[in-house]
Amino acid sequence: MTTEVSTEGRPARQRETLADTFVVDADVHVHEDPAELAEYAESPWDVALREIATVEERYLDLPGMSPRAEYRVPFPGGSNRRQIVTSAREMREGLDELHVDQAVLFPDHLLSLAMVRDPAFATTLASAYNRWLHERWLTEERSLKGSLVVAPQNPEAGARDILAHAGGREFACVYLPASGLKTLYGDERYDPVYAAASEAGLPVVIHSVEAVYPVFPFQLEQFRTSMAVHALAHPLSMVANLVSMIETGVPVRYPELKIGFMEAGTAWVPFIANRLDKEYIERRREVPLLQERPSRTMRRFYYGTQPIEEPERRADLVSLFELFDGENRAMFASDWPHHDFDHPQHVFGLPFSPEARRRIMGLNAAEFFGLDVPQN
Amino acid sequence: MPREHPIGRAEEIPEGQHRVVRVGNRELGVFNIRGEFHAIPNLCPHQRGPLCDGGVSGTIDYGPHTDFKLAWIWEGEVVTCPWHSLEFHVPTGQCVAFDEIRLRTYEVLVRDGELLVLI
Repeated sequence: MTTEVSTEGRPARQRETLADTFVVDADVHVHEDPAELAEYAESPWDVALREIATVEERYLDLPGMSPRAEYRVPFPGGSNRRQIVTSAREMREGLDELHVDQAVLFPDHLLSLAMVRDPAFATTLASAYNRWLHERWLTEERSLKGSLVVAPQNPEAGARDILAHAGGREFACVYLPASGLKTLYGDERYDPVYAAASEAGLPVVIHSVEAVYPVFPFQLEQFRTSMAVHALAHPLSMVANLVSMIETGVPVRYPELKIGFMEAGTAWVPFIANRLDKEYIERRREVPLLQERPSRTMRRFYYGTQPIEEPERRADLVSLFELFDGENRAMFASDWPHHDFDHPQHVFGLPFSPEARRRIMGLNAAEFFGLDVPQN
Repeated sequence: MPREHPIGRAEEIPEGQHRVVRVGNRELGVFNIRGEFHAIPNLCPHQRGPLCDGGVSGTIDYGPHTDFKLAWIWEGEVVTCPWHSLEFHVPTGQCVAFDEIRLRTYEVLVRDGELLVLI
């Protein structure tokens, strides 16, 4: 069968359109310029950042700051779209075209922060980024909310940053970089971060990025293609950190802490929920802290939709969401302006109930991030 | 019976180049591939991205029909959607990734240097 596709025959207008819907985008990316970060970095790291700014950068690949050392054989072709956003104004304009009302900003190069080997530089990068984001983006455009970057190399410094910024409402969450992370987020070394986030009333969000790196689950050298690495790195990184946080009881030890998982789609959620429930039957005595089946704990977590699964039968996606209470726990995320961003119109057009659609497109995220919902 | 719609002068789209034109409520990508003009919708069936804002190149093929050797094929005939990199073979409208997806193609005539698309 051949599907004829043309500009004719647009679908009939739905009763509620994307434009009438309150849309929160739980994950968009800002491009941090090392020369700008230098203005916010303490000496002598400002000197290093100005030096880094002289080096030519590629997509999510900046020698000295976020080196990717990518193995991808280049051929002509591929997307020619600009995949970075460098100002609050440019972001607002891009999001207006997508009909996004409010968005939560995550970094570009600092997605790789956990792989920065010098802990002092990593700590400085996080603090400088947070101050830069606050001043150059968040006070500029109120519909853009920040995610406060914590360097996993120095949880105490991260905790101090959280408390320093906690007063205002510019930051909506704490961002925990997961790519190439040496110690998973269940470890007690991160307790200061969780204590500070709980005190500040900020949720934490685990977010990864494609990488090949010698820590679990990024030892992906056996794979030849970006297809394989990208398919595995994001969701396995979520699985690893979620399991780690469950086994040490982070959600039990910090009951006020809201926890979110970003940019891995959601098909992995029912997989690991079922797997952990099965283990719990036999091995409860290893995790006496839990006191309930892990899938119940997982239903208090929140999950970003992007990159949303695209099964041949679109209705399968509704079934998938039923398996983890996605109606109440999935948050629309576009990942704008990155290569695999999801257009909100696509997610809006999926066969959810109108109530589920409103929750997924914005209300769940408003609940998670503590955002104001317009009353009309 | 398709009607002829003027869409500009042929010399405005030199060989190897393409541009997006508007005809009524349609947006079409018009491509000059080795002197032949082709037109397809500027609308990717994946997430409705502006397909023909993308770049043109060849693409990679491999399989029994290439004797299991990597082959660079269709040089200058493949447009890649700028949103998610889905590829289409412009002369046939065929989606390279999915056999079952083929875009409508529109015939383009050149008369006295004028480009006319048949819709």
